[in-house]
Order: sequence, then structure tokens, then C-alpha cells
Amino acid sequence: MTPLHNLTIKKFHEGLLNKEFSAFEITKELFDYIAVKDKEIHAFLSTDKDGAYAAAEKVDIAVAKDEEVGMLVGVPLAVKDNMLIEGLPATAGSKILNEYRAAYDATVIEKLKKENAVFLGKTNLDEFAMGSSSENSAFKTTKNPHDLKRVPGGSSGGSAAAVASHMAVAGLGSDTGGSIRQPAGFCGVVGLKPTYGAVSRHGLIAMASSLDQIGPITKTVEDAAILFQAISGKDIFDATSADPPAGGKYENLTHPKLEDVKKLRVGIPKEYFTGGLNKEVEEGVQFAIEKIKSLGVEFKEVSLPHTKYALSVYYIIMPAEVSANLARFDGIRYGKRADAKNLLEVYTKTRGEQFGEEARRRIILGTFVLSSGYYDAYYSRAQKVRNLIKRDFDNVYNEVDVLLAPTSPTTAFKIGEKTDDPLSMYLSDIFTIPANLAGIPAISIPVHHLSSVNSHELPVSFQLMGKHFREADILGLGQFYEKLESNS
Amino acid sequence: MPIIDKKILEKTAELARIELSAKEEPKLLKDLENILDYFEELKEVNVDNVEPMNPIRDREDSQRPSVSNGMNGGTLQKNVMREDEPERTDDTGKGKDQFPDVERNFLKVPRVFEDGNSH
Repeated sequence: MTPLHNLTIKKFHEGLLNKEFSAFEITKELFDYIAVKDKEIHAFLSTDKDGAYAAAEKVDIAVAKDEEVGMLVGVPLAVKDNMLIEGLPATAGSKILNEYRAAYDATVIEKLKKENAVFLGKTNLDEFAMGSSSENSAFKTTKNPHDLKRVPGGSSGGSAAAVASHMAVAGLGSDTGGSIRQPAGFCGVVGLKPTYGAVSRHGLIAMASSLDQIGPITKTVEDAAILFQAISGKDIFDATSADPPAGGKYENLTHPKLEDVKKLRVGIPKEYFTGGLNKEVEEGVQFAIEKIKSLGVEFKEVSLPHTKYALSVYYIIMPAEVSANLARFDGIRYGKRADAKNLLEVYTKTRGEQFGEEARRRIILGTFVLSSGYYDAYYSRAQKVRNLIKRDFDNVYNEVDVLLAPTSPTTAFKIGEKTDDPLSMYLSDIFTIPANLAGIPAISIPVHHLSSVNSHELPVSFQLMGKHFREADILGLGQFYEKLESNS
Repeated sequence: MPIIDKKILEKTAELARIELSAKEEPKLLKDLENILDYFEELKEVNVDNVEPMNPIRDREDSQRPSVSNGMNGGTLQKNVMREDEPERTDDTGKGKDQFPDVERNFLKVPRVFEDGNSH
């Protein structure tokens, strides 16, 4: 029996090269494990055994021939079901795309295929990535591996739960207002939302285009750096994508130097610590701060005065963009066309019947804030306040390089706890939203590593936010934290 | 006075091309009231002389909200262009296969004009 539970990208790579196991063996073991484990977790919406085995066999042939192979060769991944893998389903958690099969590979998938990674299957999410608990999926409710009565977070709850329960070595998620970091935090794994534009969204089913970003969900910060390096970069199919300004390359993502990390100035934004934080979160984050201080890193309290408005701003701008992006799901191009007596009814019936409650709520809210007579009061004002929120970050980044804050105000909540009250659900993203509004990178890191969390304990996580395209700072500091924590 | 009422909700749903059931309306209206009420906090922010993050003011004549123009999402990027080079493809299959209704090589859509017993 190979130690599936200890497999990280790094360890998988070493084991593969040392011929401790083959890619095929691990893939087979994972599918056997998924067959049992996913009956309680419900992380996967579909699996692709044929594709995965074929990819794994190809890897094993290359390894047998002692060909030079990259870090991601043969690594079994779970992919959120709003990203396209040619020929496979991409439901986005919605009934309206139930029958859809992807016609092409998303750019991130194309890049990972070139690295010869293995795709195990597609994971559950809130419909069109709209939600904070994965309960808005039209298909199933994913459970938190640490407590099956609790949510895994959302919207990338399937990928986070799959990685946390060791059904996949790593995964991909998408983050519009926290949808990578919050579920990673709730499940005790690492989640990186890269800088807006750092990763191409071509082939990601769009939710809110000024905010969406694809990123890794992994067991370690080092793995997140490896995966981020592979998927990042400018892409002609996404005009918002870009290479980092400094020389077009990220430096030192996977091998940070202590002397560089020591030079980072870390800010503690006081607005993230005022009230509403539950005790475990507060203690956990304090623990992380003390650990990082022991590296000799300079800390400073800073202020982001417009933080409290981020939630309102987000819940105006995001639905506005949702209402535009989801207009394409009209019964003409995708999915089942509703029986109707005229064209207008095709639209209204198809959309009324096949969008879930939260999707309908956000489309209507977005249409409202954009409609004549309300536009100035809501959408236009929100875009101005968004600018103020971004300026807050610009200002503090003159004084510090990295910000440290909790990922979420609470640990994972109970299934059903917030489904009747959308506003209380929205509030669980309060600390993750600002990074999306400002377009900056942010990573959620568990205070205690997955392997050291007792099964009855709920994970607590903190996030590091960095400057635009300075993923190296937050990944570097994160990797040193990880070393300290695992040695304690 | 509530910001949104039954009539505005129904009008908005119509604009959004979503059919609401009579059953879901009261709960949806209540949810939207709560959410819009929460947004009231934005009124206390001084936004004088603050540019919107997503400038659309270039066209003064336009009252039409546009979320696709000038969107920068906090990056420093603007006006990203690429070479305008023609490409040729004969592969119509992949897009077509996903279409709900196809006859031979044609995509079938419902008629656009109302049928007034016409020809």
C-alpha cells in the first residue's frame, strides 16, 4: 500500500522518479479510494478513468525510458467543474449545462496536459461558482472531510474536499470573492488566488469577469507554488492575462531564500480583527503571527479604512457582471430548450426552470443594480468605492509588503445553517472579497498542517495578501511558515 | 419606503428573462429587501472626485450600463491588443455538437418573428 495520505506533488514526483510506484498504480489506487471515500464526501461530479489511465500509462513509459520529466508529470489532479477539459462534462454545478460536453481545453488544462498531469475528474461547486458552501450545486452537497455535518466551504468545495480527504494530490479552483481560499481554509488545505490576470481564464465558465481568477488548491504551499508556476502566464485567448511586469518572469517561487523572506514587512490590518471573529480563529491566527515573528520578520499594524464596505461593493459589482455573463444561457445555445409558444418564453422558461435559486437571485439583483434609475445609486457608486478599497491597499503597500489576516471569521459552519438567509451566507466571504476587488494575490494557509489536525478538530486558516504579481512574497513566506509549523 | 416592491421585482425579472413562480416571489422580495438595505451603508462613503474603477464615462451620450468596457479589475492593464490575423478553420463540429437542435449542418432556433398566421 502506497501512502496516499502523504502524497504531495513533491513526494509524488520523488516517488515516481525513484520508481517506488508507477503513475498508473497511484491513479488506480486513487480511483479505488474515491469509489469508497466519495460515497461520504461527495466531492466529484464526474470521473474520467479512461483519460486518467491513458495519461498515467504515457507517463510510466517516459519514466521507464528515463526521460527527463517535470514536477507535474503524472500528478493526479481534481478540477472544479467550471473549467473545460475537452470531451468531458463541465456542468458548472447547473442543470442548464447538465448535458454539455466541453468542446476544447481551458488554457490551464492545455498547460497541464503539456506537463503530462493526470485529471481524475471534475469536482462539485456552487452553481456557476455562486456560493460559499457548495450547497448551491444542482447535483449534490459536498461534505467537509473533518466533520461530515459541516460544509466544505465554497464555491470550490469539491476540489478542497477532494484534496483534504486525499482523493486527489492537488486540485484547481476558481476564486471570485474567496471561492478558492474560503473552502481551502474550511478544509485545512492551501488555496492560492493569484493576481488578477496572472492565470488565463480562457475555458473557465465566466461568473464575474473583473474578479474571476483560477488557482491551485494543494496540501502544501510548496505545491501551490509548483502548480501556480505551471498555469500562469499571458495567453492570447484572455486579454486580461499578463506576465509579471518585472522581466516577464516569476522568480524564486518554489525555492525561496530565508534572507529574502526576512526582509518582508508584514502588515496586520486592524479592520480584519475587530469583532465577529470566533475564538478559535483569533487564537489560530495569533499562533501563526507569533511563528512568523520568530523568523525575524518585521510586523506592523496598518489600516485599510474602507474594508467594511467591501461586501456591499462586491454584492453589487459581482451580480451585475453575473447578469451579463449568464445571459448566454438562454435555451438557444446550451442545454435543454424549454417548451414554449414563442421566443421570449423560450428564454424566460428555460432560465426560470434551469437556474437554481441563488443564480436567479443574483441575476435579478444584478439586473436591478444596472437598470435605469438605480444605476448611479448602486453600480456606479460601488465602482467608486471599489477604487477607494484598491487605494487603501496601494497606500499600505508603501509601508508593508504582505498583509496577514484570517481567511474567514469562523470555522466551517453546519450544512443548512445559512441556506435560508443569503445575507448571512454572503458575510462568510467578508475577509476574502477585498483581494478580489483590488486584484491582488492572496493565499490561504492552514494554521496547522492537514496531517497534524485531529479528525475532530476544525481547521483554522490565515491568509497572506501580497502586491500585484508578487506571488513570490506570499508563497515564500508561506513556505517558511510551513517549515516552522511542521517542525514544532 | 422599501427600495424594491413586487412591481419592480416583476419588471426586473422580466428584463432578466427569468420566469418567477408566484410561490418564490415573497421570499425573493424579502431577500432582496434585506440585501439592498445592507447596501445603504455605501451612502455614508464620500465619493466626491473619486473615479469609478471601471470608467465608462468616455461616452457621454451613453446611459447604457456596460460591464464589458474598460474593465480592469485592479490590474494595470489597458487596451490589450493582438495581431489581427485571419485564420482558417473547417472544423464546425465541436461547437455544433453542443447545440440543442441541429439539422444536417444547420443550427435550429425558434422563430424570431411572431407567427401572425403568416407565410
